[in-house]
Amino acid sequence: MPVIEVRELVKRYGDLIAVDHVTFEVSEGEIFGFLGPNGAGKTTTIEILEGLRQPTSGFVRVLGLNPSDPDDASRLKWRIGVLPQDFNALDRLTVRENIGLFCSLYRNKVSPNELIKLVDLDEQADTQFYKLSGGLKQRVGLAVAMSGDPDLAFLDEPTAGLDPKSRRETWKVIEGLKGLGKTIFLTTHYMDEAETLSDEITIINRGRIVARGSPEQLINLYGGERKLVIKGDEKIYTVLTEEIGKKAIKVGDEIQITFSKSNEAVEVLRILSLKGLSFDFEVKRGSIEDVFLKLIGARITEEGELK
Amino acid sequence: MKKTLTLFKALILNWVRSRSGLFFSFIFPLLLLLVFGSVFGGTRQVKYDLHVQNRDVDFYGTPTNLSRAFIEALNSTKSFTLTLVPSKVNPTEYIKKNTKPFSSRIRFLIIHEGFQSEAINGSIKSQINVMIVSLKSFMCFAGEHLTPENMSQLGRGLETLTAVNQSLPDVKGGLTLLLDPSDTGGQVVKGIIYSVANAFSFKLVGAREVITLKTDSYTAKTYSAVDYYLPGYIAAFIMTNGVIGVTSLATDFKRRGVLKRLMTTPLTKMEWILANVLSQTALGILLTIVMIAFSWIFFRVTAIPGLYSWILIFLGAILFTGFGMVLAGLVKDVEAASAIGNAVAFPMMFLSGSFWPLEIMPTYMQTIARFLPLTYLSEGLRFTLILGYPQGAVLDFILVGFLAVFFIFIASLVTSWREK
Repeated sequence: MPVIEVRELVKRYGDLIAVDHVTFEVSEGEIFGFLGPNGAGKTTTIEILEGLRQPTSGFVRVLGLNPSDPDDASRLKWRIGVLPQDFNALDRLTVRENIGLFCSLYRNKVSPNELIKLVDLDEQADTQFYKLSGGLKQRVGLAVAMSGDPDLAFLDEPTAGLDPKSRRETWKVIEGLKGLGKTIFLTTHYMDEAETLSDEITIINRGRIVARGSPEQLINLYGGERKLVIKGDEKIYTVLTEEIGKKAIKVGDEIQITFSKSNEAVEVLRILSLKGLSFDFEVKRGSIEDVFLKLIGARITEEGELK
Repeated sequence: MKKTLTLFKALILNWVRSRSGLFFSFIFPLLLLLVFGSVFGGTRQVKYDLHVQNRDVDFYGTPTNLSRAFIEALNSTKSFTLTLVPSKVNPTEYIKKNTKPFSSRIRFLIIHEGFQSEAINGSIKSQINVMIVSLKSFMCFAGEHLTPENMSQLGRGLETLTAVNQSLPDVKGGLTLLLDPSDTGGQVVKGIIYSVANAFSFKLVGAREVITLKTDSYTAKTYSAVDYYLPGYIAAFIMTNGVIGVTSLATDFKRRGVLKRLMTTPLTKMEWILANVLSQTALGILLTIVMIAFSWIFFRVTAIPGLYSWILIFLGAILFTGFGMVLAGLVKDVEAASAIGNAVAFPMMFLSGSFWPLEIMPTYMQTIARFLPLTYLSEGLRFTLILGYPQGAVLDFILVGFLAVFFIFIASLVTSWREK
């Protein structure tokens, strides 16, 4: 039986359809990545699943309970953990006190110290919450999400706004949670995050599901072309586009060419070598970013906007 | 209940560690009590500076007996700090020279030359006037019992007295008080000097006060102004902590997502409201204890809250926490909620008779005050905490209790435990 079952879910705000006939399932023990730009309907969906919002229509079951039903929603709250977007806690309480507060709201007693260890916050355990950096605050949020020893954790944009180092540290914690056997519903607008962490990815845009599957399946289906990434002499771009006639894209100081057969790449590299140009190269397989680009026709910026 | 107590402890801890929260909930009320108490209700007697120039002196510069006695009479009121100015000094120059920035205006009293002789003349003239009036009355009422000879003798006496009286010069006052028109204390000084001068005149004429006013306390205990302020301040700050503090906290929790995070835990809406009520009650109790201790240390006010006072404080905390929760539930924006909280709290604080008696306010304001819940909390606390007369606070108990239930009920309706 799936942990989450959603069929034809709709949420309207007046004329605006925030969630438009969404259907998906989440299996036990997996990390389910819900990927989309800002305003795609991710948070609305997650809040309906948490019992915080009423759907307009559709079928929703979370851990076998209906979150729209007040009694079911009350029962559900004992079994889920939530990390909302931009997690905040009581500013003047320490990390330990905040985690302790949330632990004592549940029957399933989890020791705050265990959670502190889990999210690697031993050094900051006695620091007041408002003094923490964004990354550390999110880690407190993760610990708090685990404070009721939940079967299912909802993590809404857990690394939004964090620097790359903090993001990677947060990923480690999330992988650790999966190791504990928890089912994780993760919303994100970061492609790499969804690709790295998720067992299953569902891409949502403008309230509609665009694609579903494991990262490999999605890449194979929609992002199959591989990329030759070249770094080096400035003349390379001119040689590639004007002399060889290849379609190349400049991304920072890199030049990227997509190819479908391996010998195409070998041929390009051979010509560049014969021209006596110095360069470095690597071959990259397609990514979720390519999948997204192919399906939506745009990229998602760091801020979560479509570009 | 366990969840409520856990959250209550956390809210208290969070508040205790917040400097701004501590300032506005504790330090500010105490400072206000200290300032208002010292200005209006302390044990110190107010003294006004008065510069006195006695020009009624003899050839050697020695003051005449009456002018000296008048200055002593002024001094005996204990209302003045007197500075004696030499008789030859020009008052205008003296005032100009001695007026300093940021100091009080100079009040200058001149006892003119001839003060004693004029006072004596005035006294004789007054006494003769009294005799003339008495004689006329006697002749009028007792005339038919007197012989014509007696009447003629009395008539001659009356003529002589009238002639003597007319020969005496008119009294021209003898005192001049120079005041700055902007001096707010000037009228008080004028009033005190006028009273002293009147009493002085009575003594000279030998008259007695016909009507006297004696004041006495009708209770065993005497009350100072701080006794009046103390319950008002406690009530007012229970109100501000609820209306401003709870509103700000709840909207801030909402804005920062803390409330949403709490909503996803097993904590219920009523437990959230109750935790706030408890924390505000604890705050109210703490504030009461500290304010009473402060009032005792600085103003020797002895107020020992009994069971009725504590019940009223508890009801007041529920009432205004409920009020704050209603505001927070209705207004989504933190800034707007804070502005509305202030807009409600401050006029209520000043219109409710917490800081001064309702009787000194215009009638329409007194009418407004009767519609403000703080009026009843202040009044009730005054009855229970200071007067020790809870029977007088029955209406206050009923209204505060009813409004406490009412606001908590409305708060439970408007506090959303779900997003729209």
